Order: sequence, then C-alpha cells, then structure tokens
Amino acid sequence: MVKRFLYVFVIFLLPFIILVGCRDPFEPDVTTMDLNYLVVEGFIEIDEQESILKLSRTSPLRGEKEGRIESGAVITLISENGESWGFTEKELGTYGLIGTFDPNLTYKINILLLDNQEYESDPLIAKVSPPIQNVDFTRSDDGVNIHVSTQGNDEAVYFLWDYEETWLFRPPFPTAFLFNPATGGIDLRRPEQQVGLCWLENKVNRIVLDNAGRFANNRINQKEIVFIPNLSDKLMTRYSISVRQRAVDKDAFDFWEIMRKNTEDIGGIFSPLPSLISGNINPVNSSATVAIGFVSMGKSSFKRFYINVQDVRPWNVFIPDYLGCRVEPDTIPPPSYVLEFSGPNFTPTVQVVNQMGGIIGYRGTETRCADCTLRGSNVRPDFWED
Amino acid sequence: MKKGLILLFFGLILSIGTSEGQVRTPTGDEKINGLFAGISFKRFTQQIESSTKFRFYFSEEETQSLTVNISAIDNTLNQVLSGIFENTDFVFTIDEKNRVFITKDKKLDLSLPDDFFLPKNDINEQDSIARLSDIERTFSRNKLYVIGSSSTGQEAVLKGRVTGIETGNPIFGAIIFEKINFTRAIANENGEFEIRLPLGRHTIFIQNLGGFVEQRQISIQGDGILDIAIEENVISLSEVVVSSEKMTNISRPEMGVQKLNIQAMKKMPAILGEVDVIRSILTLPGVQTVGEASVGFNVRGGAADQNLILFNHATIYNPSHLFGLFSAFNPDMVESVDLYKAGIPTKYGGRLSSVLDVNAKYGDAEKIRVKGGIGLLTGRLTVEGPIGENTTFIVGGRSTYSDWLLNVLEENTDLNNARASFYDFNFNVSHKINPKNTIRLNSYLSSDSFRFDRDTLFQYQNQSFNLSWVHYFNERLELETVIGRDHYNFGIEGRENPANSFDLGFDIKQHFLKANFTYALDERHKLNFGASTINYRLQPGYISPSGEESIVISEEVNPERALETAFYLGDDFEINDRLSVNYGGRYVIYQYLGPNTERVYEQGQPISSSTLIGERSFGPGETINVYHGPEFRVSGRYILNNVSSIKAGYNTNRQFIHLLTNNSAIAPTDVWKLSDPNIRPQWGDQISIGYYRNLKIDAYEFSVETYHRNMKNLIDFRSGSTLLLNNTIEQDILRTDGRAYGVEILLRKNIGKLNGWVSYTYSRSLLRTAEEETAEKINDGNWYPNNFDQPHNAVLVGNYEWSKRFSTSINANYSTGRPITLPIAKFNYGGSERVFFSDRNEYRIPDYFRLDFSVNIEGNHKIRKLAHSSWSVGVYNLLGRRNPYSVYFTPVNGILQGYQLSIFAQPIPFITYNFRI
Repeated sequence: MVKRFLYVFVIFLLPFIILVGCRDPFEPDVTTMDLNYLVVEGFIEIDEQESILKLSRTSPLRGEKEGRIESGAVITLISENGESWGFTEKELGTYGLIGTFDPNLTYKINILLLDNQEYESDPLIAKVSPPIQNVDFTRSDDGVNIHVSTQGNDEAVYFLWDYEETWLFRPPFPTAFLFNPATGGIDLRRPEQQVGLCWLENKVNRIVLDNAGRFANNRINQKEIVFIPNLSDKLMTRYSISVRQRAVDKDAFDFWEIMRKNTEDIGGIFSPLPSLISGNINPVNSSATVAIGFVSMGKSSFKRFYINVQDVRPWNVFIPDYLGCRVEPDTIPPPSYVLEFSGPNFTPTVQVVNQMGGIIGYRGTETRCADCTLRGSNVRPDFWED
Repeated sequence: MKKGLILLFFGLILSIGTSEGQVRTPTGDEKINGLFAGISFKRFTQQIESSTKFRFYFSEEETQSLTVNISAIDNTLNQVLSGIFENTDFVFTIDEKNRVFITKDKKLDLSLPDDFFLPKNDINEQDSIARLSDIERTFSRNKLYVIGSSSTGQEAVLKGRVTGIETGNPIFGAIIFEKINFTRAIANENGEFEIRLPLGRHTIFIQNLGGFVEQRQISIQGDGILDIAIEENVISLSEVVVSSEKMTNISRPEMGVQKLNIQAMKKMPAILGEVDVIRSILTLPGVQTVGEASVGFNVRGGAADQNLILFNHATIYNPSHLFGLFSAFNPDMVESVDLYKAGIPTKYGGRLSSVLDVNAKYGDAEKIRVKGGIGLLTGRLTVEGPIGENTTFIVGGRSTYSDWLLNVLEENTDLNNARASFYDFNFNVSHKINPKNTIRLNSYLSSDSFRFDRDTLFQYQNQSFNLSWVHYFNERLELETVIGRDHYNFGIEGRENPANSFDLGFDIKQHFLKANFTYALDERHKLNFGASTINYRLQPGYISPSGEESIVISEEVNPERALETAFYLGDDFEINDRLSVNYGGRYVIYQYLGPNTERVYEQGQPISSSTLIGERSFGPGETINVYHGPEFRVSGRYILNNVSSIKAGYNTNRQFIHLLTNNSAIAPTDVWKLSDPNIRPQWGDQISIGYYRNLKIDAYEFSVETYHRNMKNLIDFRSGSTLLLNNTIEQDILRTDGRAYGVEILLRKNIGKLNGWVSYTYSRSLLRTAEEETAEKINDGNWYPNNFDQPHNAVLVGNYEWSKRFSTSINANYSTGRPITLPIAKFNYGGSERVFFSDRNEYRIPDYFRLDFSVNIEGNHKIRKLAHSSWSVGVYNLLGRRNPYSVYFTPVNGILQGYQLSIFAQPIPFITYNFRI
C-alpha cells in the first residue's frame, strides 16, 4: 500500500516539479572507483546434499557486465571441535562439498584467497527447515502465480525460497528430417536426433523471503514465489518447478531483506535511504577489505511441482526468438539439397510429394525455427516425469 | 546622516535636515567622549569644561528647558552641539580660543553664511503640514485626556501605543516625554511605551525621528492607557527601525536571536513574487534547507521537526503550501518574525532546535485599510481597521489560481487532469475591554489540495484558533492567558477504480492553555513565569476503503494521546549597566495517556518482534508512562563598550513529538509520533558564545556566534523499515545521538543607499547510533553526517535604493551539497545484479548556488490618494544554474545510471503588483 502511494506520489509529483525542473545525468567520481570487494554466496547443507559456495568480486558500477570470479581459493569448514572439511573448486569460482554435519555443533568457514587474504565467517548454527507443505498455482487474468505454503515452528521462523524451473517447448516448425552430408540426401531423424521438443531451464532466480512469525501459528499460506505472465513459453506444454526452502536466522533474513530493498526500491526520489549491507564474512586481519555475503547452514527441503498446459488453457504462446519464422514456399528439389541444406542456417522441414506419392523435394525453414536445441536441450533431465 | 558623525541617539532623536551649527573658524580638534543622558545643558557644559579646554558662554535661563541626551565617541564638539541643538532655536559659535557661545536664533559675531537662516521646517515638513487636514489633529493636540480613575498614590503609569496616522504601523523608537521633570520613555518595536508620571496635568510630547513633535494634554489620575497616532515620516521610518535594532543587537541579553521585519523581507527577491517568511529566514546565518521545494528548514544542525513554528500562539505543523513552493504565511498579515536559535525564552519549549515566532497583526486602530497583491500564481487581499473605539480587526486571504499554468503546460505533459490549489485565511481581532484588559482572537486556516490525475487527491490543512486575554494587574504585573486549538491533517483519496478506492491519512490535534506572567520586580529584575499545557491527540495513520465495492482492508495505527505540561520561571537580571543575565528554567512533565496498548520488550535486548514479551492495555485517560525533567536557560551579556558586547548562553530542551522520515527528501507521508514507553523524548543542549560589534557609526553591524550542541534519543531507522501505517514503529527505530557545532558570522549594513548583509555559516551536524542501541549500528557506530549536514553556507542579501521609489535587490546563496549515500559497486547475488552502497551519507551532491534579482518600484508617496501601489519584478535563479535537489540511480539498459533532479532549473521571472488603500 505504502509503495503504491509512493509510486503515485513520485509519478505525479515529479512531472509537476519537472514543469520547471529537469533531470540531468549525474556522474560522481565514485561510479568508476573499483572496490573489488570479495562476495561470498552459499549455503552449507548438513545432510548429504551438496553445499555450494560461490566466490566473486564486486565491479565498478559502470564496469564490465560479467561478474568477476574469484578462483583458486581454499575454503574450509571447521567445526567447534576442530574437525575440518575442505571444499573443492568444481568450476571457476564455484566450490562444492558433500558431507553430513552434526546440527548440534557450531561451525565456521575459513576462506584463504590466492593472494593470501584470509576471511572467516561468524559462527554458523544449522537450522533444519520443515518440509514444504504445498506448492500450487492460481490462474489470473495476467498469468499464473505459483505459491508455496509452509508450516514454520519455533525454530524455523524466517524462510528463504529459491527455485529452479524447467519446461518443455516446441519450435514453430519442428522437423523430422535431417540433411545427411555423407549422402547429400535427406534422412529421417533418429530419436536421439529429434529437435522438435526441448527442455529449457532457468536457474537464475530471485530469492523470495518471508517471516512466518507474522502469521498465526507460524503458518505461511500461499506465498507467491513465481509469476508466469501470459504468452510465456514456460507453459507451452509442461512446466516443472523445484522449490528449495531454507530456514535461516534473523540476521540472515535481515541481510536478504536489505539486499532486496536496496535493489528493488532504489530509483525514486522518495525511496528510503539505502542501507549498508555486509553479512557474516569478516577479514581475519584488518588489512583486508570487507567481504559481502551471508553464508547460512542447515537442511533445506525441496518440493517439485508440475503444471501442464491443459491445466491453464487457453494459453497462447509468443516466443520472441521465433519472430519471423516461416516455411519458405519454394520446394527444393533433390539436386539443390547440397546447395541449400548443407549450411547451418536452413533446414528441410516439409516433405513435398507428388500425386503418386513420390518425393519431389523439401521446403525448408531457418534452422532456428526448427531446431529447439538452439534454445534448449533435447536431453531429458533425470528428474523429469511425464 | 553625515559621515563621521558618531552619534548614538539614546534620547532625543532629532530630525534631519534642520539647522546645523556652522563653524567657519578652525577649532581645536579635541574629541568628546561619553554618554550624556537626560542631563541639563548646564551640567553638560560643566562636564565638557572639566575634561576639555572648551569654555561655554550662555544664558542659564534660556537653556533651562534644554535636555541633553547624547552619546559621543570621538566626536568633535561641533558635531555634538549640532546634535543637541537640532530643532531648537539655539545656535553656537566656537572661536579660535575654544570659547563656545550659545545664543538664541542668531549667531554671536562670526560672519554668517548666506544660507544660515534655513527655514525651520524643511520642504518635506512643510509639505506634510500642508497635508494635514487639521481640525482633528489640532483638536487632539489640545483636548484634555483624563487618564485613569483617581488613585491614592503619588505617581501613575501611563501605557500606550504609538502608531503612524497613515500606515497604522507602530512607531518604533518614538520618544514620549514631558518637559517639567524630563521624564521620558521610548516606544518599543510594537510602538508600545510606558511612562511613570506624577498625578496631575501634563503636556506630553511625542517625537519620532524625522517627524515633528506631537503633543497631548493629559490629566493623569491613575494608571491608564493612551494610544497616540502621530504623523510618521515615511522616508525615515526604515532608519528608525534599523537603528533601534542595532541597539538591541548589542544590548539584548539573549543571543542567537534573529529578527526580521516585513519591510526587510519585502526587499528580498522572492520566488514567484511572494514575500515569503520561510525563505527570508533561510537567508539568516545558521538556517538551512535541504532543497528548494522542501517543507522544512534546519536550524543549527537540527532536524526540521525540531523547530517550533508559532503563528500568534498557534503551532503550525506544516508551514508551506504546494509542498514547499510557498510558505503558509500571508505576508500582509505578518508584522515581524523572531527566530530563536539559542537563548530560547523560558516560555517556549517542546522543540530542540529553534522557535520561529511569527507575529501577526491585529489591525489598524485608525481607519479601515485594504491591502492586496496580484502575482502570477497567487492573489491576496487584506482588510483591517477599527470597529468602534476599542476593537480592531484584520482579515486576510490568499489563494492560488495556478490551474491556468497547469493548463498552459498541459500540452507538453501528461497532466491532463492536474489541479493544484491552496488558500489560507486569517482573522484576528483585538478588543480592549477596559484599560486593564484586552482580549484577542487569532484564527488561521490553510488548505492545500492537488491532484495529478483524476483519481488521486492529496490534501492537507492547518486549522488553528486561539483566544488570548491580557490583563494588567498593575504597572508591574501583567498576565497573558491563551487558550486554543491547533489541528493539522493530511490525507490522500485514491479513486483509481472502485475495487481499490481508499482514504489514507493522519492528523494531529492539540489543545493548549498557557498563562504567562511578566512581573517587573524592581529596576534590575524582570520576571517571567507561568505554565502551559498541551493535550495532544494524534491519529498516526489510517487507511480505509472508500465505497461499497472497495476491497481495501481497513487499517489503523492506534491513536495516541498525551499531555505535556510545563512550569517555568525566568529572570531578566540587570546586574549593572554592563552585565546582564537572563536565567531561568522549565520543568516539563509528559504523560502518555490511554486508551492504548503498551508493548513490553525484554530488558536489555534490542527491541524487535522476537523480544516482545507482552502487551498491556490501558483505558481512556489512564497514564501509560511519564517522562519529566528540567530544562535550563541561561544567557548573559557583557557590554565591552558602546559599540561591542559579548554574550554566552546555555540551554537545554526536551521534545516529545517526532516526525518520522527516512527519505532523502521530505515526503508528505512523513507522520508525527508521540513519545511512548519505547520511544524516549529527545533531549538536547546547546552552549554558545558570541561577539557583537557595531562599526563605522553603527553603519555596520558585525557578529560572530559559535555553538556546540548535544542531542540524545534522536530517531534514525533500521535498514529497510516501514514508517507508514506501522503499529510497532519502535521495532524499526534506532536510538541515535546527535552532535552539531558551528560558527556564524554576519556583517550587516543597515543604513545608506546600499544595505543588506553577508553571512557565512560553518556548521556540522552528525549522528551516531547510541551506544546502548544493539539492534543495528549505522556505519559501525561511528559518527556520520546528518541528511542535512551542509558545512559551508554563505548568503549575500544586497539592496540598493536608487531613489525612494526605485530599488534593486540581489540575493546570492551558496551551500555545500547535502550528504548522500551512493551506490559504489555492483555484484551478483541471489541470481540478480545487486548494488553495494557506500557508508551512510559518505558522499555529497554537487554544491548549491543561486542568484536572484528583483526590482521594487514604489508608487508615489502622496499620502492622500486612493491607493498606494508597488511593483515587484524579478528573476529567481538568474543564472539558471541547475542545482540538484535529489540524486538517484536507476538502471538503463542494464547499467545503473545516476541522475540529478533540479527543481528550478531555469531562470524564473516573476512580477507582482501590490496595493494598499
């Protein structure tokens, strides 16, 4: 409500002010300053799940678009009785560890960087998340809302959710044919060569958080975690979402809440003052620069949920990648196969037969309109259920 | 006034341009020094003879009626005598042997200049005599006024007020005297005087600088009141005002007090052609603002909610129209403005930083007058005058017609349905029941409403009225009792569609009762004591559905009630001629009252939802908790010599009502909150010291003041707090300490064609999360700049009078940009790009500089004509500098781009026509 009001205020007062006022670019010197602070993100799973920590660096506001990776660090998890476990670098900047850890002990993380800078976390206490009670969805005029419901308890009050989405999609002109460079002819695709149905996944997602203490009995009912707008290809045929629920302490919750507000609420002149964010990772000696990030520990709970297009019909799809797709009207006769179809950008899609049933050629389309592997993967994920 | 003439007129301030002693022969350049106040001429000569070689020759009989009231610093005798003999028949001659001959009418023997026999009345004076339609005037000169009812004493006190016949303005500095014992009194800035006379018949004379002597025949039989209207010399009026002010600059015991009268404000270039009280005080040292269209102002590093703004006893919670474009005071209603930055009198309290006391008029006692003005955006009209013999009234209104501007601009904007309007209305009456009792009614209403589309209406109102009763027990004891009510409310009506139509708002009501006694204990002590109580009723926020279809859920923050009571006693103690002390104290008792629910948190733990351990309900009128404590007010003045003094002061204050704001700009949604068991009252003290000096025959006035303030229990907010409609606001508050210090330097030129002032302020205002606050430490618990910390501020206000009817003014304003928290890095986290912010308020927006220019053209000065008119034409922000009001960052194509927003980015011309009937 408040936000709506501020929105109204900003939208309508600003033009009034701008009657005589104006807006100019503002370039303080600091926007090019390079702090290069360490950023630590991750969660320690106590129960056989893989714990992932990602190390990166901040970059200047107007600097490169790609994040900076911090590779070559030695990360150790140390329990209060001195036992330690080392992380291994799975890919650049991403470190993993699988193990079982006693939830009654406190732990800390030690990070030793290549340049010998050393960081350590505040003591970590594991929190076990209760199971996710339910994931469901509602259909509205604008699209589909997916909700999570959970039952908190005295131990688990503050919740974070993130999720992975996977869905099936089809290109506009799926093809059963394939140019064979060896023969110069057109073959039927074998099952492993099919490009008419692919899986696409989305792992880059926002964090959703809520405080169960706000509600009676610590019950969070139908917290919205994803919104799928109309025309999205996510619901073209079948959609799956795996929701991860983590219980964290108040400090971690505040960290995420500030992070969210700093990112989402800036931009208006009546926005609240941004807050400084730091986290629970501290330099061991004071010469090192600060680190950003909050690492929590505990046991996550997961739930996977599917939606079929039948459940939400009518559902029209518009995929910008497929704008301008069409099947070319010209039939390509066999002598021209090599010329037309041997390149990567044109694919036979419709077989043209004469009245006798004889193949006189193929009509083609741009490969991007026929081959779904250019957007997704035709390899069925392990978890996928039909 | 002639250059080099160093005369401080204490008593007889004599007219300019009448006869001056002409001395041809060179005389000894021995200098005269000293204060000769109210002594006979004979005694004066004896004093001079005793210290110099001069010898006087004169007739004692002739000079018997002559009183000397003059102060000389390094003057020649020539200058001193010229001063004494102005407006008299006496002339003097000084020969080579330092003999001084005093004669009547004719100089002794030295050859006289051709133009010596100047007409006794200069042209100006003759003119005004001719203008007098004088039956009435002659009548009042010779009528015998019987004052008071017979009393037993030997003496009686005559009080009254001296006003100008034409303008009705009080004559500040008019001298009231009688010629038998040469008792005299001087009218104060309100034209009020008080003179003690033996019972019986008297002729009292009233003289104004540059005017001639008016007289009244009185028979005084007891204490009484005589108001006198005299011819004022329009031309020299401003000089009277200023010269009297500069006296007070040195001699008044309080420090950190700034006074602006409406004449001075009128000379400043005003935005959009309106004389503006708030904008005028912003030119004074130590007063700053965060932005051009912001509602508040900051005094000596204090927040905007730490200023008590009084408009004839009424507390004004929102002193602006159109969210800060105009101030809410109709300039025609305003008599003068007092700003107390330190040395706050004991009768005021409840805010930490300052008191802005806006004094409104009660109307002219002589005749009905009409004043008005027409500007580009606003128009105003004021009518004042007497009703019968004992009653005066003033009624004023002001309104905007800015809709046309919005219509003109409509084509270029989306403001198809934008409407902005405001008005304010004043009605004040003063009625003198009898010489000992006067009652006054003050009422004030201001209202703003605007919409930017058809659906959402914003509005706010101030409504105040109060009744005061002034009672004179006797000539030494006076009581003023005020009872009143102030109301401020803000609201938004959202009507976007029936389903989510809402009404949102908050309001403050306060009822108050004050009793203030002033008691002249003896010549050295003047006591001021009394009590005041304020009953607050706040509705800190509500939202309710509007219409039957609305699905908006009604929400309401618990209404709050409190009672703030104070007792105070202050003493103006003149220890000797040089040293004077003003000391006193207040004791304040604050009760937070039910019905309400108190939330109890674990002791020693940060207040949060997890440490909430219980709730206690209180019924109506039950006291939930009490805060009480003393406040101290001490200031002293020591006069070093006739032209300089030093002052020092210490004061403490408590504040029980807080404005909740965490925006970089001040938003209208900022709500007020009372202190409760979890939000302690703010406390602050201030120590200050200053040096005051008048230079070059008082042409210049110079002052340096320095101060240091400590503040406790200020309010800052935790990261990501919500302020509106928050019923547990204490969970979002961080107790914060404050510290402010600075130096204010002011050089003011009061007289001459070129006048104005230059001021420079260095001030810092810092905050630090309180040590005992464990919930969160802003900037690791270090000091950080306040949102309005602007260390350097310089102001130039210059006014040049090309002629009496044509003057130009210039106003230049520079200040350091205010602090801001900037995003300084980005990183990926939680699947999104995030920004990393600097420490709180680590950076600053660009510096502020603005130059305004205006031309004031007065109509002619014929007093008997239908309407006096004046034009004010000018340009605000002459250089068109784009001063940033706010800076913000927003992603453009995935990259954060910073923008600065300027409000008055172009030169803004204005024109206003003012008239007076």
